[in-house]
Amino acid sequence: MINKSSDILERLGTEIKKTARSPSTEFKRDENTAMPAELRNWLVRLRLLEGVPFANLVADSELLPQESIRWFYMDRRWTDALVQGSLSVGTVNSDDRIQIDAQYAAIRAELDTEERNVRRNKGMARLAGQPGPITGFLLRSAAVSGWPGLHVRAFNVDPEEGDQARFKEDDPRRIRLLRLERLAPAVLLCMFDGIPKVVHIEEPRQGVQFGFKHKDNGSQRSATLRPRSKTSFEYLAEDGSKDVDVPFRVGSSGVVDIRRLSDALAAHPETGAADGLDSAEYALQLIRFPWRQVFGEIQVPPIGSMFRASIEYAPMVNATFKL
Amino acid sequence: MPVGEGKFKLYAKLTPPLEAGLWRLRADQHFGAQTPETGLDENDLRVDQENVHLRIRSPRYLLPPDQILSTYPPANSFGSYGSRLPQVVIKRRTLPWERRLEGAPAKTPWFALVLIAEGEAKLETSVDVENCVTAGVELEGLKEVAKGNCLVAKKSLINRVFPTKRDLDLLAHAREVDIQDTELMMGDDDGFLAVVISNRLPLPGKDEEGNDAPVKYLACLINLEGQYDVLLNRSPDPAPTFATQFLIKNLMYQEHSARDDHLVMATALAPGRPVINPADLGELTNLVPLAQGSEGSRSTRYQSGAAVGTGAKPYAGSRQWSTSSPVMNTSAQVSLQMAESFRLVDGFEALPFDPEYRFPVLLHWSFTTTGDTTFQSLMTNLDSRLLGDVGNAAKPLSGRLPLEVVESGHIGLGHQTREGDRVRAWYRGPLVPHPTKNTGADRLKLAHSSDQLRVVIPDGREDLSLATAFEIGRLLTLSQPSIIAALMRWRQADYHAARLRSLMVSNRNLWEELLGVGFEKIDLHKIGPLAGRFFADAIVKNPEQFLGNPRPRVTPGRPLEFEGKATTILARGLGLKPALFTGDLAKVFNSLRDVGVPRDDLLITDLGRIDVRETLGIDLDRQRIDLVSSALSNKLLDDNLTGPAFPVTDRIRADVLNDNLDVILRDPRRRDFTDEDQS
Repeated sequence: MINKSSDILERLGTEIKKTARSPSTEFKRDENTAMPAELRNWLVRLRLLEGVPFANLVADSELLPQESIRWFYMDRRWTDALVQGSLSVGTVNSDDRIQIDAQYAAIRAELDTEERNVRRNKGMARLAGQPGPITGFLLRSAAVSGWPGLHVRAFNVDPEEGDQARFKEDDPRRIRLLRLERLAPAVLLCMFDGIPKVVHIEEPRQGVQFGFKHKDNGSQRSATLRPRSKTSFEYLAEDGSKDVDVPFRVGSSGVVDIRRLSDALAAHPETGAADGLDSAEYALQLIRFPWRQVFGEIQVPPIGSMFRASIEYAPMVNATFKL
Repeated sequence: MPVGEGKFKLYAKLTPPLEAGLWRLRADQHFGAQTPETGLDENDLRVDQENVHLRIRSPRYLLPPDQILSTYPPANSFGSYGSRLPQVVIKRRTLPWERRLEGAPAKTPWFALVLIAEGEAKLETSVDVENCVTAGVELEGLKEVAKGNCLVAKKSLINRVFPTKRDLDLLAHAREVDIQDTELMMGDDDGFLAVVISNRLPLPGKDEEGNDAPVKYLACLINLEGQYDVLLNRSPDPAPTFATQFLIKNLMYQEHSARDDHLVMATALAPGRPVINPADLGELTNLVPLAQGSEGSRSTRYQSGAAVGTGAKPYAGSRQWSTSSPVMNTSAQVSLQMAESFRLVDGFEALPFDPEYRFPVLLHWSFTTTGDTTFQSLMTNLDSRLLGDVGNAAKPLSGRLPLEVVESGHIGLGHQTREGDRVRAWYRGPLVPHPTKNTGADRLKLAHSSDQLRVVIPDGREDLSLATAFEIGRLLTLSQPSIIAALMRWRQADYHAARLRSLMVSNRNLWEELLGVGFEKIDLHKIGPLAGRFFADAIVKNPEQFLGNPRPRVTPGRPLEFEGKATTILARGLGLKPALFTGDLAKVFNSLRDVGVPRDDLLITDLGRIDVRETLGIDLDRQRIDLVSSALSNKLLDDNLTGPAFPVTDRIRADVLNDNLDVILRDPRRRDFTDEDQS
């Protein structure tokens, strides 16, 4: 019951978002373009694999196990074939085919450009230039179904501000997302306009949250609070050496003994608890930020550890050619 | 000073200038006057005391929905919230400090957010506000609403779960955010928000075996006015523990078991399934009739909101409930639904040692906490690899061939050829583990059918990746009639333009000279009119090159040609001998008079005698035969319909029997038959 209604709301939300984010590639027909705008919009969306059955993206479920993230490059020859198939609907006789053959180079060049302008924000300059590689990931996890509205950010360099910094939407180091869509309740498809160095996946923000770090031990749960400085909002010790154990009320489940917690915090005068904690200072200590998962390797791992095939190439060639 | 986007300021308190309630403003004026002659004191210049009564209103029993900016965890949600404190964000920044708690230090928040696990306490909805508080406690001042909700909790629960007196003022604070920052503003108007935090973590439950079990929690914002003393002074004394127990789900079920028996046996005490009746709903949020429908119609429109319940009718406490599942269409219904499992707590008897207290509930919502998976634990344990990785899966699922993945990312799939052979083929989707050659000459050449893209690789199998892509593109397009139409329009309008363009490019100089403009400026769509216009222009400039002399008004006739003499032609035309026209006029005249009019003899007598007679005779015979035969056959049919003497074929008979109603009606035997049939 609960899931059902929240699913409906979610669906509604994604639908609204989808319509709000429909590609803004329309421009006047009579400008010098290789094809009419309606066709271009369709082909651009096709190029980004919209509507392509999932079985054609991932041909076997073993390739995308549960709780996994799989990174990929996009094969442009495949998407070119997709577009060619679509264009073939409009050719009836060999005369048409000769014509479209002549036109095809222009069509492809225009699609290469326009595909980058999908999801362009209003007011941003139209992107042009040679097409770069398209990459992306498929995420299959309970996190996709349980936390709808994940934030995904990609960078072409490792940002110096560190992993926890706040980045603007039009930061030049950011790689734009071409597509971010849930293909199934627990499968998220994301495509980048380039090859990212660092990717952030962030828990959706539902306002500011308050809470602790917890640890479970059998039927018991304990929690710790990492104190913050009252003036700078920084943690007193990033390594957790000054963490405070959260006291709970005896005999009740989960009830935090707030006064004793403030007494414990008083041991760290930087928190402002020494002269008595007020509610604002207490809130300051409790604020928790959405978790941000950072993907990005400092050292590029060998391909063998990231992609293991079941048939190796050399033996197969040997077998084929009877070498 | 703006706070700045992404930042906020915290305030321990934002106290209102005046607390809610009834106030009297008294104005006394004292005048005096002094002149050299005389003095007037205030008795002489007396001004009446001015009394102004103020009524400062503030929500007390129910929080209007528009005052709630957000709740965390989200209402009705389902997730792992076990390490986050529930909170509610309220639009009115001074609300927590607008009322005074009897016996509490000044500026203590008058409400608290308490978190109740399923079965711990009872939520009563739609109760008269007098009954919302514990008997014996009376709240003075404005009531604001007629009916409210209340939480019935035992003293033991209060001791365990409710915040202590010392905790209370740490649990509410105010926040100022930048009014440009939509994410933090959450729909507020002035950028100041009040935040109330709960003191309890919504821990997930464990069943007897120690497995995770989801637990439903109800968060209630309760009014503590008049009952501050019920709270513990301070947390109980045993040394603080740094760990807490999970709820044991099994214990909680026991409290429901009695109810379940009633349900199974359908006794009178069974709490009929949806315990939502319209009367309840009407009272819950004080739905006030907004406008009566026009006379004769029974429809009444309701407006939900915090209106004062002047029009509310007394709660009858009726036991009627609808049998059909209610449609959740109002916030009030959703709210009631969330309260449902907390409304029916049986075996909930007040023992003398464990008195029960009632607190007005300003706001309540419920959510469910599940096991221990957090976003963080899920994300850090993700298996991150390139797509196509088969991993270490040593043994494939039973009944399946092991997955064939080549280093290039192709996988082997079963393929049924057009001839029906079952073979294996290679396939690779658009998402590949290696970068592919994507530029320049490596791009795919245009193919016109998918078979052009089928490749046989040296190991004998086909690689169908691109052919599949082609077919998918084709089929997806065929499924969109509007796109097909667009392609057809494009084909008609633009392929021809392309052809035109190629024509023009090959004769570029000619066209530039002819049209007199640069090649880039030539608009292909308008080339016809353009060429016409330039042609006309050229004519006007040099008419003599294009135009001849003017045409004369009258066209002379064609000269006639004669062969021989005129008299000969004349004679031939009239069928006479030319010699007649020779000689002088008298001779010609006389000889013409003597010539008989040339005529042919008509042959009337022998013309068509036999033919006409024969033709007419045939016609006559046919008519006669027709007349006789139709009369004859009718009669014969009438008389001897079944008689063997008359050579009537089966076909005719069948036709007659089936179709000729007259015949059937006239047949006496048939009539009998039908009569019999009717009887």
